This record gives sequence, C-alpha cells and structure tokens, in this order.
Amino acid sequence: MKTETFRYDNRIVRAFAIATMVWGIVGMSAGLLAAVQLFWPEANLSLQFVTFGRLRPLHTNAVIFAFVGNGMFMGVYYSLQRLCKARMFSDALSWINFWGWNAIIVAAALTLPLGFTTSKEYAELEWPIDLAITLIWVAFAVNLFGTIAKRREKHLYVAIWFYIATAVTVAVLHIVNSLEVPAGAFKSYSIYAGVQDALVQWWYGHNAVAFFLTTPFLGLMYYFLPKAANRPVFSYRLSIIHFWALIFLYIWAGPHHLLYTALPDWAQSLGMVFSVMLVAPSWGGMLNGLLTLRGAWDKVRQDPVLKFMVVAVTAYGMATLEGPMLSIKSVNSLSHYTDWTIAHVHTGALGWNGFIIFSMLYWLVPRLWRTPLYSLKLANWHFWLGLLGIMFYAIPMYWAGVTQGLMWKQFTPDGFLQYPNFLETVMQIVPMYRLRAIGGTLFLVGTIVGVYNLVRTMRSGVFEPDTEAQAVVQAEASGAAEHGHRWIESKPALFTLLATVAILIGGAVEIIPMFLIRSNVPTISSVKPYTPLEVLGRDLYIREGCVGCHSQMIRPFRSETERYGEYSKSGEYVFDHPFLWGSKRTGPDLQREGGRYPDAWHYNHMEDPRSVSPGSIMPPYPWLYTQTLDTNALPARIAALRKVGVPYPPGFENGEAQKQLAAQAAKIVVNLRVGSITNAAPNAEIIGLIAYLQRLGTDIKSAPAAADAGDGSVPVAALNPNPVR
Amino acid sequence: MIKNVLSDIGGVGLYGVISVCLFFIVFSGALIWTLLQRRTLMNEMGGLPLNDGETPKFNEGESRHE
Repeated sequence: MKTETFRYDNRIVRAFAIATMVWGIVGMSAGLLAAVQLFWPEANLSLQFVTFGRLRPLHTNAVIFAFVGNGMFMGVYYSLQRLCKARMFSDALSWINFWGWNAIIVAAALTLPLGFTTSKEYAELEWPIDLAITLIWVAFAVNLFGTIAKRREKHLYVAIWFYIATAVTVAVLHIVNSLEVPAGAFKSYSIYAGVQDALVQWWYGHNAVAFFLTTPFLGLMYYFLPKAANRPVFSYRLSIIHFWALIFLYIWAGPHHLLYTALPDWAQSLGMVFSVMLVAPSWGGMLNGLLTLRGAWDKVRQDPVLKFMVVAVTAYGMATLEGPMLSIKSVNSLSHYTDWTIAHVHTGALGWNGFIIFSMLYWLVPRLWRTPLYSLKLANWHFWLGLLGIMFYAIPMYWAGVTQGLMWKQFTPDGFLQYPNFLETVMQIVPMYRLRAIGGTLFLVGTIVGVYNLVRTMRSGVFEPDTEAQAVVQAEASGAAEHGHRWIESKPALFTLLATVAILIGGAVEIIPMFLIRSNVPTISSVKPYTPLEVLGRDLYIREGCVGCHSQMIRPFRSETERYGEYSKSGEYVFDHPFLWGSKRTGPDLQREGGRYPDAWHYNHMEDPRSVSPGSIMPPYPWLYTQTLDTNALPARIAALRKVGVPYPPGFENGEAQKQLAAQAAKIVVNLRVGSITNAAPNAEIIGLIAYLQRLGTDIKSAPAAADAGDGSVPVAALNPNPVR
Repeated sequence: MIKNVLSDIGGVGLYGVISVCLFFIVFSGALIWTLLQRRTLMNEMGGLPLNDGETPKFNEGESRHE
C-alpha cells in the first residue's frame, strides 16, 4: 500500500470566509434599514435607490446569495477536500468560482438599487447576470465532480451527497425559472405568464430554500458537527434515509406558496401533502444532529462552535415543523400574506443559516490561522446577542402576523368587515415593527462582535495556505482492483443520476401538465393585452418593487371579496409576464385597484401617501414626477412581449404604439385637471404608473354577462364562482 | 375554473395517488437498502469526517484559553 502526501487548499476557504463575514454585515444592515423604513419611511433618505421596494430584494439577495452563499462555499471547499482526501480538482476553477460569484454579488448590489429587476423573488437579477450565474455555477459543479473523481477515499460521505444534490438541483432550478426574453441590456420578460409563471417561480423559490439554504448546510452539519463533537454522527443509516426522503419530497412542495390562489386545486393539494410529509425527514435529520451530541453536552457549555451549531440545528427543527404547518391550507389561509411568513423565514435565515455559518467560522478560523480564538468571552457575547436578536425578531413578527391575519378576517355581528380600512390593521402592528428592528439590531451587533473577534484571531495567528495530509492510494495494479476502482468511480455518476431523477419527478409531475393543458385554460374573452402606456407603467411597478408589499391575488374568501372585490381567476393573468401575485401584504391587494379611485387620487397618493392616507407607512415616490417615461424602450419591449406570446399585431411598435401611448397619457392629464392637478406632465413616469394601476382587474368588469364568445373562451359569468368562505 | 378543465381532461385524480406511491417506493427502497448495509461499513462511513489525513499539529484545547 502506497501512501501519498498532498496539500489541502486553505486559501480558497479563507477567501470565502472573509467574503461571508463582509457580506453578512452588508446584507443584515440592508435588512435593518428596510425594517426601519416600515415604521419610519423617511429612513429611505429620500433616495429612490434605497426605498423599501428596491431595498428588500437587495437585502434578500445579499443575505441568501452573498452571506449564505459564500458561507456555503467556505464550508464545502474545506470539507470536500478533506472528505475526498484530495486537493480541489482545479485551483483555477476555485478562484473563478470565488471571483465570479462575488462579481455577481457586486453586480446585484449595483443593479437592484437602480431598479433592474425581474421581480421574481430570489431570482430578481436580470438576464446578463443570470447568464453569469449559470457559468459560475457550472465552474463550481465541474470543480466539485472533478474533486470527487480524483478522490483518494473510496467512500462518498453523506455530506458529499448533499453537495451533489445542491449542485445539480440549483442548476436545474435556476435555468428553468430564468428563461426570459431580453428587451434591452437590463430588461427582460419571463417566457411564462400568470399561473404558469407563478408555479415555476414558486417551484424555484421553494427549492432555492431547499437546495441552496438547506441541503448544502445539512451536508455541512453532517461534517462539522461530528468534527466539533469529536464523535461520528449518531446514525449513519438515518442520514441516508434523511437524504433520499428529503430530496425526493422537497421538490414537490413549491405549490404551498400558492394555496387558495388561482393555481389549480390538484397542484395545491399535491404541494400541501408533500409539505406535510417533509416534516419526517427534516426531523430525522435534526434528531440525528442533536443525538450526535449525546454524551458530549458538557462541551456545548464551553465551545462556541457547538453552541452555535446546537441552536442552528434546533432552529432548523423549528422552521421545518412550522413550514409543513403553514402548508396546511386552513393555517395558510390565516398566515399567508402576513408577517408570520417573515417570522418563519427569519427563524431559518438567522437561526439555521446564520448560526451554522458562525459555527463553521469559529471552527475554521483558529484552525486555518493556527492560533486559539482571540476571546471566548466575545464569542459568548456574540452568541447571546444573536439568540436574543432572533427572539426579538421572531416573536413580534408572529404577534404581528396573527394579529393582522385575524383583523383582516374579522366581521361585525351584522356581517360587515370589522376593519374595512386596511391601514387600520397596519397601524395596529407598527409597534411590532419597531420591536423587530431592535431584534435585527441585536443580531447585527452580535455579528459585528463576532467578526471583530474572528479578525483579531486572524491577526494573532499565522495563516497556513496549505495543509499537508497523507492518504493511502487506492490499489491500481491488479485487474481485479482495477475493476473495483472503476466500479467505485462509476458510483458518483450513478448516484448523481439517481438524485437528478429524484428531483426531476416532482417538478415534472406538477409543471408539465400546467403547460400541456395551456390551450385548455379558459381564457376570459374580455382580458386583453396591456396598452403601450400600461406596459411602461407595469415596468415601473416592477422597477419600484411594488410587488414586495402589494399582492395581486384575491383569494376566494368572503373576507377578501368584501374588501377587494371579485376573487382572482387564472384567466385574468394570461398576459402577465412576469406574474405579480406577490407574497406579502404590507399594503392592500391591488388586483381590483383599477377604477377604485380617480386618477388624481393616485397622483396625490404616490407623491405623498400620508396626504390621502394619514398614518400610512408607504414611502413617497417624488422621482416619478420628475423622471420621464422611457418611451424609446417601447418598441423593444413590445417586440419582446410578442415573442413571449402577447398577441400585439405585427408592426404595432412602429408608430401605432407611440400614438396610442400619447393619446392615453393625454387623457390621464385631462382627468388630473378635473382633479385640480394642472401641472402634470404627460411624459412623467407617474402617468404610466397611473395608467397601469387604473387597468388592474378591470378587464373582467367589462366582460359580457353571459353567452359564449364562440372562440372557445369562457365568459366570466360561466366561471365557477365557488368562493370558499 | 382551470381545475374543472383539468379534471375533465382525465387522470388528474391519479396524480396524487401516483405521487404518493412513487414516494413510498423510493422511501422503502432507500430504507431496505440502508438496513441491508453492513454495520462495519456504516461505522466506517460515519467515521469519515474524523479522519481527514491531516498531519496533526493543532491542539484542540488551545482555543479555550479563557
């Protein structure tokens, strides 16, 4: 038996470690600023670039892809080499991965505040950046599989399985959800519309949580927890079952984000059932993690690595019990669109992802810099500030979510809405928003303390760029051994194939029928494409991130139809590229906003929301009054929309569109004069936005009351009303 | 509504049944395969993170100097 000496690459781990610390502070600060704006809108500093609608995606992207993403790569690059007993396949690919990923993050940090966004949650980045993400992800995957191929350890530890599932699934999710037709350098339209777009987006969104925020970190848990506890995982058999059950079930669960929406009922039910089943493998994994510490709990008292890890695994357990619970339709009818969801995701983000990254950092930094941790006391401060931060964040958000959800549904004994004014339900929970900001501050301060501690540790030590290691080389001489060797090498490929099949089944069963039956979707004869001015207005709605606070999806509950009007039909969204259903109502639903107020009301409201709605927490949008509509972009946008299936007549964009746009804008200016607004410029952005808002949900109001249009479309009256409650 | 059209085009009711059956097969397969594995192999696999081949230099206790 020959022993080989080789070196693990620590430089790449250091780079990702520093990046995760820097981006962690940036992402959390952005979140804190967004949180403050929810009770003090002036905290946008009167800048359009950091107003809530644009700041929210910046925060979510920075935390998910920058903080958690770099943290994930840090852990994977450290553990993969050691589990494979091999240096990374290619140092060049490692650095392409690092610089490429961080360049993408910088691009996101520049483009999102500028309003370049697709509006699809966690997939907001525009098409050139989407392409870059694909290339960098491929670089990571090649490096991952290359390292596995040249490994000196014949067995693939379960952590690597989770990494493989991550690499494959994220690629599939990203590509399918990002299919879009460009309409300029930083503008595109999703190839899917309405219901289809919603299903694809939430298949992606849910599985981004599953395969970006969860599976890689479960792999890291299976590596770092035994390391820190200095004992093997409680049950390796359980970890195998955990893996297969989890990746098979996760992919089906996406529709639980769309319960009671216009998504077909069978897809909702499928999503709900699989979400509830998910609790089993999730808790299997959590218990496997916690039971690994049996007999080592005394270490948890002293070791910051284990302290953070235990809270992380516990938070994983809480979030994965809560997730299935929120996927039950009756619970979801209360929780959806409220801050309950925000509480849920932050248990995962702060508790699970945040704490496991801190745990890894406290493990890695002293080892890579060959020095003891600078201060155990500061690490304890970090731990308690972080834990209190999570509490102060989550509890007020639960309170706010349940309170507001109940207020939305409350009827008086006479059968009227108890709180018909949406704003009243918002003002009730503003104190909770203040408390939440305190929670966020505590967590951020804890992070800064932690980063200070880690930086001092780095400074007091000497970084070891490579770690020397030895391993026995697998026999190659005899024919039988060669056969065995080949067999082992073929296993990762077979394994990857099986994992890919497992993740594709769920997506295929749910998504493909939705496309196959496209021609059978009852289009509503009165639903027409947006006018040119409305197209530009809708693009402004997307740019400003209005979808972050306003849904466009009225669920079939009496409490919603009373408040907003007729519930939403799938046929209403056939020209919505992308869909704008939203996932949170910080403000009211806007699906039936058209015609509810005069143009002048919108004009005054957008300029200063509190002038017409005292106490509103919506920010003012003064820049919409000074910036002019980008009518030059219209031809490219109309052409792109036609490509994705909106039936604009050929050549429409050459002249006719501009003519229609000017006429509609002039009409709005006249309407504004009626409302005593005499200084409105017809080419101001606000005119486009008003046009779009006034169109929302009005198509079905002009529908014929009965009779088939004769073109296979279904008149509204023929649609099954069937409101649930 | 769209769900009516779907239920009319046939087979939609089976989707849930097929899906659960598929899961049951995958889950049972994984379970049986796992239970058939030798205990020694499982122990060996579980111990992999603890043996990374690094030349030992670092003293665990050093990080706890306070």
